[in-house]
Amino acid sequence: MDTLSPSARLARALVTLAGAALLLAGSAWGSDDHFPFGPFRMFAGVNGPDEPAPDTRVEGTDVTGTTVTLTERNSGIRRAEIEGQQERYVAQPELLREVATAYAAHNPGAPALMEVRLVVRWHQIRNSRPAGTSRDEVLAVWRAQ
Amino acid sequence: MAGAVSHHERALRWLTEAVPRGRVAAFRTLVYLYVAADLVIFTPWVRTHAAVPPELYQPLFLGRLLPLPTPTPLLVHTIFWVLLGTALLAATGRAHRLLGWTVFVLYFEWMIIAMSYGKVDHDRFAFLVALAALPTAGAARHADRTLTERGGWVLRVTQLAVVATYFLAFWAKVRFGGLGWATGSVLARAILRRGTDLADLIAVVPGLLIAAQLGIMAFELLSPLVFCLRERWRHAAVGFFYTFHLVTIATITISFAPHLVALTSFLPLERAVGLARRAVARVRHEVPQPG
Repeated sequence: MDTLSPSARLARALVTLAGAALLLAGSAWGSDDHFPFGPFRMFAGVNGPDEPAPDTRVEGTDVTGTTVTLTERNSGIRRAEIEGQQERYVAQPELLREVATAYAAHNPGAPALMEVRLVVRWHQIRNSRPAGTSRDEVLAVWRAQ
Repeated sequence: MAGAVSHHERALRWLTEAVPRGRVAAFRTLVYLYVAADLVIFTPWVRTHAAVPPELYQPLFLGRLLPLPTPTPLLVHTIFWVLLGTALLAATGRAHRLLGWTVFVLYFEWMIIAMSYGKVDHDRFAFLVALAALPTAGAARHADRTLTERGGWVLRVTQLAVVATYFLAFWAKVRFGGLGWATGSVLARAILRRGTDLADLIAVVPGLLIAAQLGIMAFELLSPLVFCLRERWRHAAVGFFYTFHLVTIATITISFAPHLVALTSFLPLERAVGLARRAVARVRHEVPQPG
């Protein structure tokens, strides 16, 4: 039997309590910024039973006129990361150029993007269930000069 | 006074309740193998941040406090390869302290790189606790039945972190959504955004998503009761937790993979190792030896 001395046991208890205190404080007052002690707010937002669901995407048009959906796979930027910085993109649409840069870095041979758009598809919801209809809203556009 | 002292003593004993070293060895191997799998299979997008322009890096509080450098391709690729190598070495159980702390520090920085581009994931608090505690677990060999209290503490704090993830998820729903969360449309929204074909079938059943939301809140609120259950029922409860995550993967493609690894801290992992060893021995016995 590998037994702990009373002081080693007490030290572990104190570390446990300190960790718990940080975690509880993070949950009570913190935000995602306090990772890993922030609140576990995955899917915690309130959405009314008839509130439309935003389905965000970034798409680009390349020099050949083809529309490309920019995803985690071809740009290295996750959709949730676009949504997390959505206000920045709306305030400074030229920031979308960075997404085009990331796309170019991930696809060296691909035709260059002439335009990048941040688009939200609003899916309608009725009585907490999908209603089957939607509409698109363009939030920000960047065009190559 | 004497009563209070024994109360403290009991709490301390519970917090460091001894477990077989073989269990700690199995947990250690699993956790470090997962670090390698996380890098390569589960979250390959972290590495792709190397080519994302620095303008999109928005460092988290700890990244600003320490302060950690803005990721460059060199930094990201160096951490990737060093972490992959040390995690695989650490999975052998050798140099558990040195390799354990190295993996913890590198993985933590890896997480800051992962979460500093506009989205923080909430699926790995308990896994990070396991990584932080494992270097203190002491040496442990597979199949060793000797009991260890330092190993017991590591498993206990991981279990506490797992349950805290559920219970505080309930708390966050109350804090950010209010009790109206249960009768809102959060699941319909999740299904529209990232649902599978199975989820589309489920979504149209009247009242089902609201019932599921009520069920999720109840299960998260009651999750700490797992510590009050006797072994058999505790394992059944852990089975229920795994089932919940299985349904989440099958409907809205959210895996919580590192949390699922931390959840094994509730299980007698040494028995799985024992079964695997016996199976390997049987196969060896049946295969005719050359010569």
